[in-house]
Amino acid sequence: MNMDFVAGAIGEALSLRSFIGIGGGVLLGYIIGVIPGLNRSVAIAIAIPLTFYMSPFIAISFLIGLSKGTAAGSAVSAILLNAPGEASSAATCLDGYPLARQGRPKTALKVGLFASVMGDILATTILIFVAIPFARVALMFGPYEMAAILAFALVFIAGLSSGSLFKGLAAGGLGIFLGTIGLDAQTGLPRMTFGYTELMDGMPLIAVAIGTLALSEMFVQSERLRYERDSMSVKLDNSDKDKLSWKEFRRTIPSILRGTGVGTVVGALPGLGPSVGSFMSYGMAKKASKTPERFGQGAPEGIAASESADNAVIPAALIPLFGLGIPGNVSAALLVGAFAIHGITVGPLLLRDEPELLYSIFAGMIVASLIMLVLGWFGLRIFAQITRVPPHIVIPIVIFFCLAGIMLQGYGPFGLIILVAFALLGFVMKRYDYSFVTFLVAFIITPMLELNLRQSIILSRGDPMVLMNRPIAVFFIVCTIIALFMLAWRTVKKGKPVAGGDPAA
Amino acid sequence: MNKKLITTTLSTLAIAVGGITAAQASDWPERPLTMVIGFNPGGSTDIQGRVLANVMEDYLGQPVNVVNQPGAGSAVAFTRLANNTDEGYTFLFGGTTALTFTPIISDVDYEIDDFEYLAALAVGQNAIVTSAEQPFETFDDIIEYGRDNPMTYAQQTALDQAIIENVAEEEGLDLSIVPTGGGGGMAPLVLGKEVDFAYSGGTHAQYTPSGEMVVAAFLSAERSPFYPDVPTLMELGYDYSIEDYRTIIVPEGIPDEAREALISAAEYASESERFRETTEDNTFFPVVFIGQDEMEDSVRRIRAATEEVMGD
Repeated sequence: MNMDFVAGAIGEALSLRSFIGIGGGVLLGYIIGVIPGLNRSVAIAIAIPLTFYMSPFIAISFLIGLSKGTAAGSAVSAILLNAPGEASSAATCLDGYPLARQGRPKTALKVGLFASVMGDILATTILIFVAIPFARVALMFGPYEMAAILAFALVFIAGLSSGSLFKGLAAGGLGIFLGTIGLDAQTGLPRMTFGYTELMDGMPLIAVAIGTLALSEMFVQSERLRYERDSMSVKLDNSDKDKLSWKEFRRTIPSILRGTGVGTVVGALPGLGPSVGSFMSYGMAKKASKTPERFGQGAPEGIAASESADNAVIPAALIPLFGLGIPGNVSAALLVGAFAIHGITVGPLLLRDEPELLYSIFAGMIVASLIMLVLGWFGLRIFAQITRVPPHIVIPIVIFFCLAGIMLQGYGPFGLIILVAFALLGFVMKRYDYSFVTFLVAFIITPMLELNLRQSIILSRGDPMVLMNRPIAVFFIVCTIIALFMLAWRTVKKGKPVAGGDPAA
Repeated sequence: MNKKLITTTLSTLAIAVGGITAAQASDWPERPLTMVIGFNPGGSTDIQGRVLANVMEDYLGQPVNVVNQPGAGSAVAFTRLANNTDEGYTFLFGGTTALTFTPIISDVDYEIDDFEYLAALAVGQNAIVTSAEQPFETFDDIIEYGRDNPMTYAQQTALDQAIIENVAEEEGLDLSIVPTGGGGGMAPLVLGKEVDFAYSGGTHAQYTPSGEMVVAAFLSAERSPFYPDVPTLMELGYDYSIEDYRTIIVPEGIPDEAREALISAAEYASESERFRETTEDNTFFPVVFIGQDEMEDSVRRIRAATEEVMGD
């Protein structure tokens, strides 16, 4: 690590501009996190167009700050409303809401906040110390290794995020199909553009992402609005028993450390989202506890376990992103798009070519954690009020931001058509339980996979023996095959037939 | 404050405002302008364009707003520009490849005659590069080595691929050509020695100062002032070149006063220290000023030459 860069990076992260950018991101994330129904990917998707006018460092730190904010903010509505701000905080409801109902909402909120911040800072530190050596190794990866890793990531994500193999294949297949639209990388000839110049660079990622993630979610919310009325949120009073004692907090520390570990591992593996992390961590905390019967009745350790893992996932998901250029989940995939807007190819070369930028982003992430602590602490009452904002006000505002974001991107009316088309697709997928995560990740990974696979085949001149000198590629090919077999086996065991016998076909 | 004073102040203001307007040679521009960049922010066209917009703003006395319309190597931006009726208030700054090459291989809704080429301000840099760790360095070395060994080449466009294929055929090389999708994908392949040599449209400027990447030859018509010892492919006896000029382009038939104002603003920019510094020191593109008559000819000449290469 070059100390000049580190010093420069810290200097940049501590500048006023970066405080405003990162602070703005965390605040916006916090608010979006608090509002039930608006999740992290929605937040990033609608915020990316806002970053056009920022420097690359501020833009990326703003978006990462935003993710962190949503993870911390979602605990507020989980605790006060019993409705998680997003799925990853669902485990927080289990103990957070009972504790709040016992007249200790502030205690619950503070445990959640400390767990979030601690999980966040620890996982960010792990990211810094793992991503750099990892990127050094990854620099030696050629097209063979990249193609094998991408194929593995695709199968892994499809297998994990879909309940049914067929629905997963359908969603992934659609993503792959749409990912091949655009100019052929070698001949430059258009594929399936039907004469639309706008499609030559492929389906515009931001329009597809905002459509499937954000706008469709608003449709889902509006539909729900017709049938459901809001539950009342727990009010904060100044009662004496609602204080978090050091003794009580100390008991949650093992849960926080365990949660951070679980969150980091889950985050670093492609495809496992924060929800898996928080539930896994909650389950492990319950198992390790001497008094497991307290869980579900308002145990602060339960809140700490869930929230620390939820927040640890975010920095950890950046390990494969910065190390390999491969997004581990949808939020990270959107960051690839954000980097591209600023003309930066994310991956191992980032460390080599723009170490200052990378170190600045790391420093900015630590700053974001600290801002999150301050905002969460002093904004406790304000954020509690936000849980009362009714959805009929939130939904139109978000729809406005979706449309405005596409116009800002410069795609014009064509972009709006794509946006609405994908919003409808996303709505149908959510309605009938097709994994839109599998769809989006497949869509984003396909161009990279295609290019690397083509390069491998051409460079090897069609000779598979080249792989004998490529142990890493062989390792991932074997992993991919095993993952495919396990997927098929799981489906067979459930009694569902596998069409044609071969899931790879 | 009495009424007379107010009247005096107002009339003084009116004279002052009138004076400013009169000081300008013509009334154009009367409102803010838009500069279209056909690429994402952060690339070399964007970096150069933003400084250019700034300098033109000083000269024209109206804001010049930069809008990025990325897609298909500027083909998206040109499609929209062709239908623009803004009478010169909207213009594009960028390379000419989307006009001299793209229409040959894909079906686009615009043609060379849809636009006017007011002034070229920078010369595109197209190079053949290789890694410093390879057993060859110059283009002749590469050919020599390729006579005995199978070689690999990383392309970025169908045009550079066609040129290299022709060279390989003339020299009898056994060459496999891989796509890279752009300069960002080319660099790791060259530096990791996955390929023997590659095309670079300007990315090499990031890697040659450290000595990791070597420019073997230029595909441009002339040598680069930043690599004076590197010959062009033409000098080496191959009759191919890729010419590209970063040009100010407007839809055909804008008012004369708009044309004159934009051309003189471009000339002013080409002499501006700020534009020169950014373009030459940061992106390694030589700054020039080539007027409208010459550019109109150049674009058509390059197009004809490109059609010939691609026809093979």
